Amino acid sequence: MPSSASLRKQIESAFEHRYPSVLTPSAKAVREVASTGISQIDDLLNGGLPVGAITELTGPASSGKTSIAIAALSRRIQEGGVCAWVDANDAFDPESAAANGISLNQLLWVRCSGTQTANQPDKFRTSNFRQTQPWPRLDQALRATDLILQSGGFASVVLDLADESIEHGRRIPLATWFRYRQAADRTRCSLIVLGKAPYAQSSAAVVLECEQAALDSANHNVIRRFIYKVHRHRERFTSITSIDRKPPASIWSAHAMWNTEKRA
Amino acid sequence: MVSARYVEYRETRMKSRGQPDCLYAAVHAAEFPAQAILRLRPDLRSHPCVVLAGSPPEERVCALNLHARKRGVVHGMTRLEVDELGNIHILTCFAETEATARNVFLETLLQFSPRIEETFATNASAFVLDITGTERLFGPPHEIALRIRSALSTVGFRASICICTNYDTARIKAEFSSGISVIPYEKESEALAPVPISALHLELEHYETFALWGIGTLGELAALPEEELIPRFGQPSRAWLALSRGYAEHTFQPMEARFELKEHIEFETHIEQLDSLLFVCSNMINNLVARASSRALSLASIRIDMSLEGSAQYKQVIHPAIPSNDRKFLLKLMQLEIAAHPPQAAVDSLTLTAEAGQHCKVQLDLFALPMPEPSRLDVTLARLKAIAGADRVGSPVLLDSHRPGNFQIREFSINDQLFTDAKTLNRTCLRRVRPPHTLRMQLNTGKPAAFRDGSAPFCVSVAYGPWQSSGCWWAVDRWDLEEWDVMATNDSGESIACLVVHDHLNGKWLLDAFYD
Repeated sequence: MPSSASLRKQIESAFEHRYPSVLTPSAKAVREVASTGISQIDDLLNGGLPVGAITELTGPASSGKTSIAIAALSRRIQEGGVCAWVDANDAFDPESAAANGISLNQLLWVRCSGTQTANQPDKFRTSNFRQTQPWPRLDQALRATDLILQSGGFASVVLDLADESIEHGRRIPLATWFRYRQAADRTRCSLIVLGKAPYAQSSAAVVLECEQAALDSANHNVIRRFIYKVHRHRERFTSITSIDRKPPASIWSAHAMWNTEKRA
Repeated sequence: MVSARYVEYRETRMKSRGQPDCLYAAVHAAEFPAQAILRLRPDLRSHPCVVLAGSPPEERVCALNLHARKRGVVHGMTRLEVDELGNIHILTCFAETEATARNVFLETLLQFSPRIEETFATNASAFVLDITGTERLFGPPHEIALRIRSALSTVGFRASICICTNYDTARIKAEFSSGISVIPYEKESEALAPVPISALHLELEHYETFALWGIGTLGELAALPEEELIPRFGQPSRAWLALSRGYAEHTFQPMEARFELKEHIEFETHIEQLDSLLFVCSNMINNLVARASSRALSLASIRIDMSLEGSAQYKQVIHPAIPSNDRKFLLKLMQLEIAAHPPQAAVDSLTLTAEAGQHCKVQLDLFALPMPEPSRLDVTLARLKAIAGADRVGSPVLLDSHRPGNFQIREFSINDQLFTDAKTLNRTCLRRVRPPHTLRMQLNTGKPAAFRDGSAPFCVSVAYGPWQSSGCWWAVDRWDLEEWDVMATNDSGESIACLVVHDHLNGKWLLDAFYD
């Protein structure tokens, strides 16, 4: 009866021409991270969002996930990279991005419309197709993200599914997320997915759940800042002991875009 | 018998210089109307093809290829006669296609000499190049001829080439021979001997006289005594003898060719399929790239002009991010552009006009962040536009206006100055609702108290405002808004922070954005 070592050697030699060391776990390397520009979140994530991986920012409306994504993009653009925002619901606000220090000429914005184009797959051209269905928009967003990730050279890409319902988001095939993970890893791109719930499952390197904590106002007539809370749910590339030592959640705040004192 | 003048000419020349001081290469592309079409249709080159000229039903064969000649087609045949032979491709002669092909032909020859003179040739395109002194660049005469033939073959032409120290000898020999001929100095007369006398383009009565004398070739004409010929035919006969003996003198008049990267083709049948069109485009792009490359240039833009069925026109321009000579990349861009803006009718003719640009030089940096490769980014952007729409992909640009959410989309490109001095300011962001939802608002002492977004009711806990915003009161697109920052909670306890707007012009409450 062959020992496990010899059996393993046989299997590895059989697959050697396709996969080197198929049964040997790959050596763990220190993952490159990119700062989000928000110190509380950077502390929570051991430096920032992972490069070459998928990060999911989840939470309901007004939970601060868009602000985190824009802050992360702003940081990457200031480092000299170019970024992309794939907008499934056409909700991106250029004024907010500019107010957060994003150089807009380094940002590629894809506004998915939901209208059928010449290249639309036939499955969306059925007679009972309704424009109110989210599938054309989702399909456009997913295909656009795929193209951008595969083309390479983008420091960070945001796939904005924040306004899609959880039911629709969960119907995105897992194979899509696997492909995104591979492409992001190969092109060293940080893919940030905004959604109401985590969709990428095991393909996501980090999952952060955002929620609104409080509202700070000046003189009770002008919003001064929003206070948000972030929970860390998944962090694939960090050892368990390290996660245990870190706090599971963090509080951060985003100031209003206007001059509070003047407006008050 | 050789005339005294001819002997004197040769002796003077040999004594004074010992070797000729000039060298000419004559290039003759026969059956040019057929070549002009077939060079862009390589699939037809191995089939018998004829080109008809004239208006129906008086169309006659004006050019044909070798396969058609073998099938028994001759010039002047009618369409009916060609049809009777069967299985012969019939093409139509178009002046623009021929003119474009002539330009390409000329431009290819310009690679070898800037001094070119066009010569008259029936049903052919013929040029004589002054290649004096180019031996050090291109090698001996035979090598030059081979290079010229190779260059012409690259752009789809077949031509006979003759290199000689005498202009007219080279021209006549190229017209009446095939392949490559290199005539050594003082062998001009021997080389021209078998050429028919029709090469001199004489008047009909002179041909009849020579036929009576039994003179049919230039060799036989050259052997006639000059003293006997001139009294019978006059002074022009002196020039005939000089031509037939290979010592005619010619003042070279170089032409000034204009560099234009243009390819044109007219289809004998309407093209409806994109694949068929791209098949032709591929050859045209190959030719454009080859011509630009020969001048160390790249293609900076390509303009697509199509004549559509029903006299409609189609125009599109492709602008790569950087000038490129990558054939596959340019063809892909063209495919995506045509797919995004398909012609509304079948295509009758296609013209590609390119603008030349300098090769792009990029200084790479080992420590810089990876950037999208310009050519690949172009293809990606074209694909994204095909997916989402041409006006929905790009970089946002804020407009100088107080109108909320006023921006426009411009073409995304990687510019040189990427680094900015801006700092991350960590401000809360808006998520716009496009178009804004209409709300049913309930007010309490002038402030929002509750609203209903569709069927979902929200109870307002905090409402800060109002902030008035108005402008363009003199224009149709004026606005007069009242903004409120609202915190609201629905029945399930979900809390939202949003920007609610009261549009005074329409009297509506709108959900404009969420704070997120």
